[in-house]
Amino acid sequence: MKHTFKFISSICLLFSTFLGQAQDVPEISKNKELEPKKPKIETVKPEPKTKPEIQEVKKDSVVKTDRYGLRVGVDLYKLTRGLYDKDYKGIEFVGDWRLTKKYYLAAELGYEDKTTDDDRLNSSATGTYIKGGFDYNFYQNWLDMENLITIGMRGGFSTFSQELHSYRIYNPNPYWGELPVVSTDQKYSGLTAGWIEVGLGLKAQVVKNVFVGFGVQLKLLVMNKEPDNFENLYIPGFNRTYDGSFGVGFNYTVSYFIPIYKKKTMASETIKEAPKKKQ
Amino acid sequence: MKKLISLLLIFTFGLSSCEKDDICDANTPTTPRLVITFYDNADPTVERNVSNLLATGEGMSTGIAFNAVSSIELPLKVNDSITTFNLTYNSTIPTDRNNDVLTVNYSTQNVYVSRACGFKTIFHVNSITRTDDPNADGIWTTRVQLINPNIDSEDETHVQVYF
Repeated sequence: MKHTFKFISSICLLFSTFLGQAQDVPEISKNKELEPKKPKIETVKPEPKTKPEIQEVKKDSVVKTDRYGLRVGVDLYKLTRGLYDKDYKGIEFVGDWRLTKKYYLAAELGYEDKTTDDDRLNSSATGTYIKGGFDYNFYQNWLDMENLITIGMRGGFSTFSQELHSYRIYNPNPYWGELPVVSTDQKYSGLTAGWIEVGLGLKAQVVKNVFVGFGVQLKLLVMNKEPDNFENLYIPGFNRTYDGSFGVGFNYTVSYFIPIYKKKTMASETIKEAPKKKQ
Repeated sequence: MKKLISLLLIFTFGLSSCEKDDICDANTPTTPRLVITFYDNADPTVERNVSNLLATGEGMSTGIAFNAVSSIELPLKVNDSITTFNLTYNSTIPTDRNNDVLTVNYSTQNVYVSRACGFKTIFHVNSITRTDDPNADGIWTTRVQLINPNIDSEDETHVQVYF
């Protein structure tokens, strides 16, 4: 329990620093917004799309503004599961930073404490994890909408401990009678695991700056430090392990977008043209 | 759209590779039994079949019957360090039956197998003794030899008995 509080409070601290930064930056961006109003061509310069498009802007004078910033949120599934599942306590914070029009730098930070009651084993796993990677938004928004349908990749890492509470001995020849459950409180600490995952995600803006999201992930274990005479049955962040090295996961997030700066892009016509070239 | 379909394919492929691992497969090596192989006393290199051998655990009402085999497997007590078996030769013929008592002394170790199977117990035999039973009907197992004290599988013989 102590560790839970420690972790939550440290996370809050971490994000409060982000919030602090977020409040600083918009002042600068406000100035930026004011400037470009006169010469539209200047704002376009940083984009590599170059001159022909600028000419189109002059014709239409329809300009789309993309907001860039930090989105922070929490996984509601993990948070609420603790209320009805006495064998589970967990929290996951999610965050992403918009790098370019379509790419987002994304990370998740979490803590899980899960007791697994299998037929022959009762064990729990407790630990923290971090995942980092990127999301690619392939959803074509209407002018002022900011919804996302993303495909993303992450690298995940977890440090955790496991505790074996009880187990059964498998005896295919029970001549001497059935064997009782063996109680033990064997703790295996200092365990680590690393994995990569591919995720499909959806985020919709429900209120201004507030996003509701859903995501599923397929995970592949690449590094797994197993305890002596036991196995990592549950890895925080990776979830349940199977005989192979695959794992699955999903989250249901609510997040808040902190706008930091804006970039103006071309009219909707030119935007529509761009993806066609790619395909 | 193509991306979405290919991604879904990856997902389904990934999920299908998750094997069912909730049921302990019968072929998984779990708690082993003591394997005894019988040899001909006259010609110690030749295995000899037993006829109507009944192995009854001490304090048990039913026994395990073996017939026309040269190798038998006896389950040891997992929660104990001594297991005693009455080995009755020719158990079906009251006039010709012969009973010897085999006592195995061992230490145990619990070893993790898998999520589905849990743990198994392996044994290390410290000593094995053969005595005649209280009826004093003579000894049929002329020589009992411990050749492999580590019982961690049933693939090999642990004890050789000559008769």
